[in-house]
Amino acid sequence: MNEIVRYSALRKTLNGELLLDIEVLEIHEHSCVALSGRNGVGKSTLMRIIAGLETPDSVTVILDGKALPWRRACQQLRTHVIYLHQQPYLFDRSVTDNIAYGLRQQKFSLKEISSRVAEALDWAGISHLQMRNARELSGGERQRVAFARARILSPRVLLLDEPMTNMDSEAREQACRMIKRLKDDGVSILLATHEFHTVAHLCDAHLSLESGNLRPQLIDTQSGERKIIPYG
Amino acid sequence: MDSLTAATAESFRLLFSGDAALWIIIFTSFSVSVRAILIAAPFAFVVAFLMAHLRYPGRRTMIAGFSALQSIPAVVVGLTVYLVFSRSGPLGDLKLLFTQSTMVIGQMLLSFPLLVALSHAAFQAADRRVWETSITLGAKPYRAFLTLIYEIRFGLIAAFIAGFGRIIAEVGCSMMVGGNILGYTRNIPTAIALETTKGEFAQAIALGMVLLAMALLLNGMLSFFQGRGVMTS
Repeated sequence: MNEIVRYSALRKTLNGELLLDIEVLEIHEHSCVALSGRNGVGKSTLMRIIAGLETPDSVTVILDGKALPWRRACQQLRTHVIYLHQQPYLFDRSVTDNIAYGLRQQKFSLKEISSRVAEALDWAGISHLQMRNARELSGGERQRVAFARARILSPRVLLLDEPMTNMDSEAREQACRMIKRLKDDGVSILLATHEFHTVAHLCDAHLSLESGNLRPQLIDTQSGERKIIPYG
Repeated sequence: MDSLTAATAESFRLLFSGDAALWIIIFTSFSVSVRAILIAAPFAFVVAFLMAHLRYPGRRTMIAGFSALQSIPAVVVGLTVYLVFSRSGPLGDLKLLFTQSTMVIGQMLLSFPLLVALSHAAFQAADRRVWETSITLGAKPYRAFLTLIYEIRFGLIAAFIAGFGRIIAEVGCSMMVGGNILGYTRNIPTAIALETTKGEFAQAIALGMVLLAMALLLNGMLSFFQGRGVMTS
């Protein structure tokens, strides 16, 4: 698997305490990596840094083999990396407008937006909700809108921050199916969770964030072995 | 008592007969205040957004400063603008004193702290995920700002209405910097003050009714928009 981006010597302090001190984190093409760790250990902060929403104290970024300064890397990654909050925020407008939001920012033509949105609605199985205000939807429906809104932009990396939290088993299974389909579409996924067992079947590797650093964990491989996949 | 009844009857006649002098005063009032609020509000919203969004030294002092300035007396703003634009003032050469332009400037200064304080409260209460979601979906910062404005529009409309209410009824600043010139800088509050001192109650009552109707309408709209700011689930 080719490497998309590598973060080395990533450090972040929060309120005077060292939260993240990561030697190296690589994100490869077509991969799905679980990121686990107890609450407050810095999983969300790490994901927000990767999404360019927070600035680390120091980091070296290598994007597609080229070393880039942080700001430049942020600008370039912004079109490739999408971060989904634990509870995705949907704008106070229709489902269609929510899904079309990213395409409008990239100045796609109305015709192109219309056809892509129709395809995304169909992909997520929410065509019947297209004219509804997104705020009126149930939790599971909101999650599907958020996935469709992200997928329509064809990101290379999708950062999912605890996507299964506060979901019933049916919604959880539905989210798993969507993540699997995104992975099959070639999107690399980094998935923060504190319940690894619920997403183990989706993941190629498992990293645990402990005391600010990443440690590879045991994972069941496709051949049935249980081993540590070196990653990062 | 009879004279008051007659003045009230006359005021209705003035209002509904389309009395030119009266309607010019009403038009001047709205023209000046609408221009002032339309210019001040965008700047105020940007300042309020920056105060809510960025972390920088002196931010809390700035917030407290704008809060305190909400209660600045109109006549003090009028005095300041007067001194700045008077012949010996730093901007005296512009010869703007006793024009609608200085009235607009005065009313902008008067409404600005209120607009900043109220819109800052709206920005502060906004969900941070709005900004982050916009950015992660590829919006440029100014587009993310417009998205945020839309998401908290009810709070901002409430701030806008409160700001307009503050300036449409103020008398001190307009009197000092406008000069109360008939057909040019005489607005509703200054006309009411003048007509009352002259004992000409009919026009004062007619203008008072317009102002009262406006105040009630604005407060009604304010309650409506504040009520729309429901919590997001």
